[in-house]
Amino acid sequence: MTNLRPGLIGARVQRLEDPRLLAGRGCYVDDLRRTGALHVAFCRSDESHARILRIDTSEAARAPGVAAVVTAADLEGACRPLRATSRMPSYQATELPVLAGDKVRYAGEPVAAVLAESRYLAEDAAERVAIDYEPLPAATDPEAALAPDAPRLHEDLASNVIVDREFARGDAEAALAGAAVRVSGCFRMGRKTPAAIENRGYLAEYDEGRRRLTLHSCTQVPGIVRDALAELLDLPGHRLRVVAPDVGGGFGAKVSLYREEVLVSILARRLGRPVKWTSDRREDLMSTTQAFDEVVRAELGVDEDGAILGLRAEIVGDVGAYSVYPWTAAVEPVQVASFLSGPYRVPDYRGRVRAAATPKPPTGAYRGVGRPPAVFAMERLLDMAARRLGMDPRDIRRRNLVRDGEFPYRAPSGLVWDRAAFTGCLERACETIGYDELREMQAAARAEGRRIGIGLASYAELTGVGSRIAVAPGMPINTGTESAAIRIDSTGAVTATFGVSSQGQGIETTLAQVVAEELGARLEDVEIVHGDSAALSHGTGTYASRSAIQAGGAAIVCARSLREKVIEAASHLLESAPADIEVTGGAVSVAGTDRRMSFRELARAVYTEMGRLPREVRERVDLEATGVYDPFWGTTSPATHAALVEVDPETFEVEVLRYVVAEDCGRVINPLIADGQVHGGVAQGIGAALFEEMVHDPSGQLLTASFVDYVVPSAAEIPSMEVEHLETSAENNVGGFRGIGEGGTIGAPAAVANAIADALGVEIEELPATPERLFRLIGPGRRAAGARMETGPGGRGRGNRFTANQTNSGGRSESGSGPTRQSK
Amino acid sequence: MKPPPFDYARADSVDEAVSLLAHHRGGAKLLAGGQSLVPMLNFRLLHPALLVDVNRISGLAGIEERNGALRIGALTRHRQIEVSRAVGDHFPVLRTAVRHVAHLAIRNRGTLGGSLAHADPAAELPMMALLLDAKIEISGPNGPRRLEAREFFRSALTTALDDAEMVTGVELPLLPPATGWGFEEVARRAGDFALAAAAATLTLAAGGKVAEARLAIMGAHEFPLRIAAAEARLAGEAPCSGALGAAAKAAREAVEPDDDLHASADLRRHLVEVLARRALESAARRARELAAQVTGGRAP
Repeated sequence: MTNLRPGLIGARVQRLEDPRLLAGRGCYVDDLRRTGALHVAFCRSDESHARILRIDTSEAARAPGVAAVVTAADLEGACRPLRATSRMPSYQATELPVLAGDKVRYAGEPVAAVLAESRYLAEDAAERVAIDYEPLPAATDPEAALAPDAPRLHEDLASNVIVDREFARGDAEAALAGAAVRVSGCFRMGRKTPAAIENRGYLAEYDEGRRRLTLHSCTQVPGIVRDALAELLDLPGHRLRVVAPDVGGGFGAKVSLYREEVLVSILARRLGRPVKWTSDRREDLMSTTQAFDEVVRAELGVDEDGAILGLRAEIVGDVGAYSVYPWTAAVEPVQVASFLSGPYRVPDYRGRVRAAATPKPPTGAYRGVGRPPAVFAMERLLDMAARRLGMDPRDIRRRNLVRDGEFPYRAPSGLVWDRAAFTGCLERACETIGYDELREMQAAARAEGRRIGIGLASYAELTGVGSRIAVAPGMPINTGTESAAIRIDSTGAVTATFGVSSQGQGIETTLAQVVAEELGARLEDVEIVHGDSAALSHGTGTYASRSAIQAGGAAIVCARSLREKVIEAASHLLESAPADIEVTGGAVSVAGTDRRMSFRELARAVYTEMGRLPREVRERVDLEATGVYDPFWGTTSPATHAALVEVDPETFEVEVLRYVVAEDCGRVINPLIADGQVHGGVAQGIGAALFEEMVHDPSGQLLTASFVDYVVPSAAEIPSMEVEHLETSAENNVGGFRGIGEGGTIGAPAAVANAIADALGVEIEELPATPERLFRLIGPGRRAAGARMETGPGGRGRGNRFTANQTNSGGRSESGSGPTRQSK
Repeated sequence: MKPPPFDYARADSVDEAVSLLAHHRGGAKLLAGGQSLVPMLNFRLLHPALLVDVNRISGLAGIEERNGALRIGALTRHRQIEVSRAVGDHFPVLRTAVRHVAHLAIRNRGTLGGSLAHADPAAELPMMALLLDAKIEISGPNGPRRLEAREFFRSALTTALDDAEMVTGVELPLLPPATGWGFEEVARRAGDFALAAAAATLTLAAGGKVAEARLAIMGAHEFPLRIAAAEARLAGEAPCSGALGAAAKAAREAVEPDDDLHASADLRRHLVEVLARRALESAARRARELAAQVTGGRAP
């Protein structure tokens, strides 16, 4: 049965979706046109924390082309309350209203929705909605928000502390007390947003004749959205379909249920007309979930040889105003604590994590989820310890990485690392970048006054997490399994349907490779269907580096059982024993003979040509199969990143000269796509390291509300990368795959930070390392150590080019005689 | 992010454009490349009653050399300046500066006249007009007039243009031989508005002393600045590192930057000095090389 042809799995297959996506033939939600559609413009709060005193929609309702103006009062009873639940003991759930009711909790929160014949008219009318606010005191700093007397964001909660959790093993304090060297820092990355190229967009349509609601959504998780809406709107699944057409990037921000998609669903049903909303970029920057906003105070103790003795951390997550559905606001900060010890042997650990509700946009999943800040802190601490010991950064990692004989290794938070190339990645990365030669080059450059630095970052992540480990305990969804259905139709064509969903990462190609190889089909015979809740009974979607493992696993399981049916039919049709039937290249044949049928001929014989098969075979062999795959645990994906940077010590510009990633994603399905995943992730990580930062002023106003101010790196800032794949077999899942989607973003901030620290001989504790931060760290601007940059009120430079806090596309704010907003 | 309602008119001549502007008294805006105007409309920062499209006015674009100067029409796109042979021959500093204007797609649409009239304090072309002693040609209801660049820029996004006036072109007097140049800019990303930038020209007299030095700064002040103190400091001096450094210090003292999201006033002042020094050093090096070519001998 062994297929002797070169396998499709592992082949550098050009992406099958590219002719469509790159030539502009994709179809995104905003491309969908519906006769009679109403277009939504939101009036969003321009206060961060305020009571809504009055909303006057009368003038807007009379504006040209307006069909309706909707506020929270109009939505009472329209759906069940939306709360992200969890069984974590200290967790406090927040209610997420579809539109803000008596209070707003962040600038940008939707307060009213105007529905009009066009988006232009809707925005014109939205300017005429008058909203009166009474500003309330706001604790925008997460550590201040934890204080018992801090202004309470949710009156129904006991405090602003959404979650308070501790991970501990051994006695971290004692271990630190006995350490030869202790290093510590307060590590902070800027709040980041994914800035997907496609903004969020939703189109809901209601078929009154069939009482059927269809939501077209840019979501990564059509199954989760369908199941959630079924509950919220009390609709059975066959009257509710959620379709994710082509989606232009998600990066985790499209894995949560958004109030806008609930709203268009409610209104399409109520009004009997298609209702469409496409976020503009400003709305995206102020309303799509954000991430990486943790303060990590951590201390590491090592012995005189650099061996780690203990680690402790106090982590405060600035999670924003609401706990996102279904993941909860704990999803990121808790992972900072659970992953902090990294791929190292850390005997004693204590990590406490608290999530503070603040009047800012909610945070949620974003490529790497918690691990970028964790790895940034840990990798910096290791370099700080190495510097104190006079040890090379590579050596301290060699000293502490979990070694080959030590797997499975239980990390102090309880995560279990299965055997993967922890040390192999470090060695390969150093070899590829030419570590020893670079150290010599660095010394020579330094003699000429150039500041060149080399940074390493090693990490491990858990991917393809199965049903044994809940992403968050008590979530109402099953993240562990995925299902697939594969059928050969009466023309011999193969259609494989999955519950995962593509945002452009190449799933249509990789899953086709897996199905074709396992089934014995040709690549061109296989069509991949995904992103449609009606296509399968259950599926959740694409997130957490799971699609290759879960959907790839389901593809294998399912294709193998379909192959059995193909063999059974072929054995009758070709009059041979099943053991002699080969299925390959889209055809069945009898080994050692010229008896052969293409899938098309086989399908015709099975489905169309009466009498070719005995009745009992015909009834049993339907050339369709379904399969569910559950990896049960998860699988470890490690990597080492190596960055070479040069810092201009006069202008504080940082240039990334070279970038190497050595990673272990197990069996590579498609090296082109695996490389692409690494490239994109690293680009986002370099964004976090050097450029991107959501800035809110002390009153909670977003100052980075356009791409002039929220600085996403462009091709010019991203170096070409060298990617090495180490393929340690992953025996714990059927395909031998490890996840690769997020790793680039996890390693890059730490690697770049370590390289800058190495170049300048200073410690980097805050990212992004902007010219301003480096100026304050090493230049004439050096003042209070570690001070965050004071952001002025917007001067003559770029900050005021598109005034950030003109929040509303509509929505006059008429703060009455209430108290003035309290500034901290 | 949709613009508020506006009327649209296409002008076929400068006179027609000016009379539409005059008729609407402040309520009309000229639409040329639209690279600043359209985003501001989409953010609803502007609510003009009328957009006057000047893109079809013939004769408003083009680059020609005449009477010891290079004349560039207002409707000339950034990209045309960037690839112009005449610009490259006479004003390599301008060509270099234009390459820092945003990205190719924007340079294909954006115009010289639009950039000058918009007067962004961190835009390259206003600074280059100032550096190169541009004469700015203006048409209005009372006919044409010319202004020196240094009279044109008044404050951030504010020029000497009257509501009913438009820029029709600039004239750049050619530089003397043996003039070196330098251009330095720091921005967060390639194509971003500058945190600070400096441009310099330096003309050497026989004997290697500075006959004329010019230094302009942008991004660190309400409007682009010529640094008169620096220029005076260098005139008649040998362009040694001490003199160039002192001139750069003068630039730092001349600017009054504000804090904003991307750089503090302190960083901007610091960058002004660093970039001014680097621009002057490049200008001096190039001037010496040019002088050496002219004399056929060693660089003075």
